[in-house]
Amino acid sequence: MLRALRRVADRRRQANGDYAWLFNPYTGNELVSLDCETTGLDPRTAELVSIAAVRIRDDRVLTSESLDLRLAKPETLTGDSIRIHHLREMDLDDGLDIEEALSQLLDFIGNRPLVGWCIDFDLAILDRYLKAHLGFSLPNAVVDVAQKYRKHMRRSHPELIIQPEFEKVASQLDVPVMGRHTALGDAVTTALMHVRLQAGALLEKSHEPG
Amino acid sequence: MVDIDLSEPPFSLLDNVQQERVRAGLDLVYFSRDEVILEAGQSGEFVFVIFKGEVAELDPESGPGEARIGHYTKGDLFGAISVLNGSSRYRFVAEQESLCYLMPRELFLSLCDSNPVFAEYFRQRLTEKTRMLAERRSEGGITLAGFMLAKVSECMREPLVVGHTTRIDEAVKTLRDSQADSLLVEEPEGLGMITKTDLLEALVVSGRPPTSAVADIANLRLVAVEQSQYLFEALIEMTRHKVARVVVMQDGALVGVVELTDVLSFFSSRSYVVSLQVEQAQSLQDLSRASQRTPELIQALLAQGVRMRFAMGMLAALNGRIVSKAWDFTMGEQHRQAACLLVMGSEGRGEQMLKTDQDNALILADGHDWSSLREDAQRFTEVLTDLGYPRCPGNIMISNPDWVGTLVQWRQRIRSWVERLDANSLMRLAILLDADGVAGDLRLSAHLRDVLIEETRGNELLLTHFARGVLRFSTPLTLFGTLKKPEHGIDIKKGGIFPIVHGVRTMALERGIRATSTLGRLDALVADGRIERETAEDLGEAHALFSELRLRAQLEARKHGDDASEADDKVVVQKLSSLERDMLREALHIVKEFKARLSHRYHLEYA
Repeated sequence: MLRALRRVADRRRQANGDYAWLFNPYTGNELVSLDCETTGLDPRTAELVSIAAVRIRDDRVLTSESLDLRLAKPETLTGDSIRIHHLREMDLDDGLDIEEALSQLLDFIGNRPLVGWCIDFDLAILDRYLKAHLGFSLPNAVVDVAQKYRKHMRRSHPELIIQPEFEKVASQLDVPVMGRHTALGDAVTTALMHVRLQAGALLEKSHEPG
Repeated sequence: MVDIDLSEPPFSLLDNVQQERVRAGLDLVYFSRDEVILEAGQSGEFVFVIFKGEVAELDPESGPGEARIGHYTKGDLFGAISVLNGSSRYRFVAEQESLCYLMPRELFLSLCDSNPVFAEYFRQRLTEKTRMLAERRSEGGITLAGFMLAKVSECMREPLVVGHTTRIDEAVKTLRDSQADSLLVEEPEGLGMITKTDLLEALVVSGRPPTSAVADIANLRLVAVEQSQYLFEALIEMTRHKVARVVVMQDGALVGVVELTDVLSFFSSRSYVVSLQVEQAQSLQDLSRASQRTPELIQALLAQGVRMRFAMGMLAALNGRIVSKAWDFTMGEQHRQAACLLVMGSEGRGEQMLKTDQDNALILADGHDWSSLREDAQRFTEVLTDLGYPRCPGNIMISNPDWVGTLVQWRQRIRSWVERLDANSLMRLAILLDADGVAGDLRLSAHLRDVLIEETRGNELLLTHFARGVLRFSTPLTLFGTLKKPEHGIDIKKGGIFPIVHGVRTMALERGIRATSTLGRLDALVADGRIERETAEDLGEAHALFSELRLRAQLEARKHGDDASEADDKVVVQKLSSLERDMLREALHIVKEFKARLSHRYHLEYA
């Protein structure tokens, strides 16, 4: 509700801006799978380290049309997060500044619906940056693969309490995990999971005995 | 973000920049089970590389049993030919849920344009691919087994060292006494080498008296290796420095000399030694010892990169000699030349792998009195069993009177087989067609061949019945990677070797060709204009590939101590590399086309 209101307000404000087209409803057959690596787990303070996005067209994951952005060193890059995503300061020496990165990202995703794994976290951080630099948050429709998986499972196994874990879901859907904890790897894996869920992979599974 | 392994052909043929283009240009797509990935006749828009899953290639035109022509699994590539030809000849279906990389047509074609070797890969015939595999093997050194790993210390001579005041005539005497070609001289500056040639030149060209000292004749520039180095490296050093001997040093001290001639004979020694052992055998025990060494010989030859064709030839020659020797040991002097011993089946074709069952027959000269024939033949069969040739389960041995006879009797037999045309007769005919004389009066074997040709010539009905055997075993491709139990593998003998051997045998029968080996028959058929050179090469290469895979399975089974059984003929597709799978697939394609051709030629469609 809040999101919808904010979107209306953003839309009016951006009506004559550079990004007005982002607020038009999307009519094509593509989606974009999105993943960010950050310096922490608190969306209010965590900073972006890298952003990756890959397009999905119908049942195809267009790894050839992907975006992999690394940002200039954020202030809060610490030992803890380095251990997760293996990006050290030296790796970020030639990173993009945030405005350039956001502009490339917006051009890439356009008004396509977004797909992600627990995407609310990524969106909260992206929106924080977007609001600071461009004055609006992402208006795109959103598919959370983790949510979707939970919904599918609840339908076939209502008795279970499901806490989806990335690797486990991937293996249940028979999706290879590509480069875990790199933004692009996770984005591709998430895209594949989405494609599999769309194709009814879980329904297939529940037919098999055992 | 593409985790793709580009280290196998064809991608390994690309340079780094091109490989990067591949990585950046691939998409991913899932195919659910039974989904048609590419329909026959559909235009080829993508080259597919399987990330995981299994894909079958089907021919929608042919019957249910024959429909399957290929099977692709993780790491395999398909669809390239469809892109190059414009449209797909066959239908590709996901057998399991499969995740594939897609390479767009444009990218593939531009890679082909910028890299001729890569493009050539997709146009290559089996012959070239086999060569590539052999090259890759020798590079990889996977099979660099046995004596290729011999160390310098195994082939080294004691050094002959003399003082620099030694006279030339003394040096010559030393060389003669120790049967050496060279000796070392201790000069004040260090060690020097003197060869026979050096001494000869000193005496003849420089005109030195035999009583002068060897002092300044010696060559002080010595090439040295260490005891623990591979013998092969010593050979390389000799080649590089253009010398015929190197000294072996250990911790700065001289320990020996390696002569080129020794190295060369060492490398060829096994084949040499085994054949020598056979020739020198004075008793059946000697012969048995030599015969036991043949498998290791073949393994060694193949490891050395000797082509299958020659290794088989070597084995056939050795087995022929062993059987012939056994004949001489067993049969009385007066009977040896009054008959001709034939070996048949794969042995007759010179294509057996390891020890095969004894398939043999006997032609008797007319009018020879041989009262103890039965007992002698019985004993001969037992001798061969002792030598490691198991008895033929079909009882096709000279201990069976059905396989012994004079030329007249043989002619009657052949005639009755040709008249009856039942399965048993046709099988006997096929066995006899591969007969090759190995001992006794070999002219009888040539006469029998004349009889065979006379009795079968121009008999179209016989040919049709005979050829039908080619279709006896359905295509192995239905078994190709049977998903439930992939470890069962495919039967390479029934599915690959048999159709080629029998098909070629049929054509040879039609043309009255005397050769008994498949390759020999193919050559003769080419000369006869019955078959194009290219087809013959492909068939020969496919046959060699099947034989090699089968031999490897057999050697593997031997290693595990299994009995020779049917399991040896199974090749587990999943264990092969993707290039080998690719070649196997192609070879099976060749078999399939050959079968179709034979069906057409001998009217098997209506049979």
